[in-house]
Amino acid sequence: MTTWNAPIYVYLWLAGMAGGSYFAAFLADRFAGYDHKRLTQLAIQMGVLPAVLGVLLLLADLGNPLRFWHLLAEFKILSPMSMGTWILLAWVAIAVIMNILYRYEGHHPEPRVQAIHKLNSGLGGLEFGVSVLLMSYTGVLLATSNRTLWAGSALIPPLFVASAVSTGIAVLIAYILVVAPVTIGRTAEYRLPARLLTGSVDWAIPTRLVGRLWEAEAVVILVELVVLIGLVTWLGSSAMAGAREALNQLTFGALAVPFWVGVVLLASIVPLAFDMMSPGKELHRREVFRVALASSVCVLLGALFLRAVIVIGGQI
Amino acid sequence: MPKARLIDVSKCIACRACQVACKQWNELEAMPTEQRGSYENPPRLSANTWIKVEFRERPNEWLFRAHTCMHCTNAGCEQVCPTGAISHHGEAVVIDQEWCVGCGYCAQACPFHVPDKDEITGTARKCTLCVDRITNNLSPACAKTCPTGAIKFGERADLITEANNRVQTLVNLYGYRRAQVYGEHELGGLHTLYVLTDTPSVFGLPEEPRIATSRVGTQWLSGVIAAGVIAALPFWLLFQRKNRIQSERESKEGETR
Repeated sequence: MTTWNAPIYVYLWLAGMAGGSYFAAFLADRFAGYDHKRLTQLAIQMGVLPAVLGVLLLLADLGNPLRFWHLLAEFKILSPMSMGTWILLAWVAIAVIMNILYRYEGHHPEPRVQAIHKLNSGLGGLEFGVSVLLMSYTGVLLATSNRTLWAGSALIPPLFVASAVSTGIAVLIAYILVVAPVTIGRTAEYRLPARLLTGSVDWAIPTRLVGRLWEAEAVVILVELVVLIGLVTWLGSSAMAGAREALNQLTFGALAVPFWVGVVLLASIVPLAFDMMSPGKELHRREVFRVALASSVCVLLGALFLRAVIVIGGQI
Repeated sequence: MPKARLIDVSKCIACRACQVACKQWNELEAMPTEQRGSYENPPRLSANTWIKVEFRERPNEWLFRAHTCMHCTNAGCEQVCPTGAISHHGEAVVIDQEWCVGCGYCAQACPFHVPDKDEITGTARKCTLCVDRITNNLSPACAKTCPTGAIKFGERADLITEANNRVQTLVNLYGYRRAQVYGEHELGGLHTLYVLTDTPSVFGLPEEPRIATSRVGTQWLSGVIAAGVIAALPFWLLFQRKNRIQSERESKEGETR
C-alpha cells in the first residue's frame, strides 16, 4: 500500500517543470548577453500555471485540505516539505510580481521604465535562485525519508534536477513552437500552429535559440542518463536493506514496463535520437518543427514516468 | 526520570491481548481481514491498529514480536512533519489530531514503518504510548494487559538493567548466543526497548536505524551541485561560448566578403 500516489508525482513533475523552465530561460538569456529577454518573460508567464496546478494537486492530496494553512504556520529548516511549501510560495509570488511588472514596463515613461526594469532584473536573479531550490526540493523531499530507493544514495535530487531542466527546456521549445506569439531574438514572424502543421505557408522560428535549446536539452538528458545509470548501479551494488528489491522492482518487477519504456526510452533514448537529427541545422522545414515538437512531448511524458516510477518504486 | 516500555520477545506467546487492549482503550475500529495462511492478524500496522504481534516461523521455532511505535528520542517523523503536529510529550511521540494535515510525510520518514494515514479522519495516526494513561501514573494498555510480562512499563534505566540481565540469562542459560537489547542507543534512545533472541533483522528491525533528516544537508547540496553542473555544461558552453564562436565566424565571413 502506497501513501503517495499520482497527485504527488504529478505535483513533483509540475513543480520541476516550472522551476526548470525559468532556470533554462534565465541561463540562456544571461549567457547569450541578455539576448533572450523575451524567453525569460515567456518562462515566467508560462511557469505560473504548472506551479499553481501543482499546489492545487498537493492540497487535494492532503488528508485535510482545509487545514492547508497549518503548513504556513511553521518554518522548519529540517523538513523539506515545510521548506518546499515556502519555496513554492516564494516562486509563485515572485513570478506573479514579475508578470505584473512586465506588463507595467510598456505603459510608462522612460525613467520609470528603467526603475521597473532594474527591479524586475533583481527579482529575476532571485527567482533563478528560488528555481534551483524548487527543482532540488522535488528530489530532497523524497531523499529525506527512510525509503531505500529515495534516501539510500544522494542521487535522487540530481536526477530530479536534471529531469526538471530537461522538462523545462522541452516545455519552452514546445511553447515557442506552438503557442507563443514569438518575437524572440532576431525573429518576429508568427503563424498559427495549425497552419504550421498542416498548411503550406512559409514560416520562421527563432532558429538559433531553438537550436541551442535543443542542444542544451540533449546534454541535460545525457546528464540525467548518467545519474540514472549511477542510481541503478548503486542499487545493484549496495548492501543496504531493500536496495536489491528496489532494483528488481524497477528492472524486472511491477515497474519494469514504465521504467524501460517510459523512463529509459521515452525520457532518454528517443529524445536523444531526435536531438541528434537536427540540432544546429536550419529550422525552417515543417518536418523539423514536427520532430522538435515530438521530442519535447517525449521528454515531458518521460519525465512524468520517471517521477511515477521513483515515487511508487520507493514505497513498494 | 524518563520512562519506557520493554518488550521481551522471549516471553511473548502471541496471545495478542496487547492488540485487543490497545484497540479497546483507544477506541480503534476493527479491520476486516482474511485468512492469509498465518495466525498473524491483521496483516500490518495501520491507522486503526497501533500494536501488532508479528509472526516469523523458523524450523522448530516461532518468533513473535509486538510491533509498535518506538517513541524515538530523535524522531524522524517529528522532524519532517511540516506543520509541527508531531511532538514529544515526555517520552511519548504524539500526533496532534487537530493540527495534522494528513500529508503522509511521517509515514515515509519512519524507519520502522509505523505511522499510517487514516482515510476517514484524513490524519496520520499511531501509538501514543497511552499518553493519557501514563500522565495519570498508569501503564499503557498493552503493558497492563500482557499476561506473561513480555511487555512492561517503567523507569527506562531500570528496564535497561532488567533487559541486560535477561539477555545474559538468554545467552548463558538458553543458548541464544545472539540475544541482545535493542533500543538503548538507537536514534538517541528508543522508548520502546526490546529484548531480542536474535539479530534485529531476523525480527524485521533495521540493524542501524537512521533518522530521515540525517543527510538532509547533503541531499540539498547534491541538488544544487547538479544545477551548477547543468548550468556550466550545456548553458555556458552553448549559449556563451558557442554563440561567441559563431558570432566571430560570422563577422570574419562578413569581412572577407
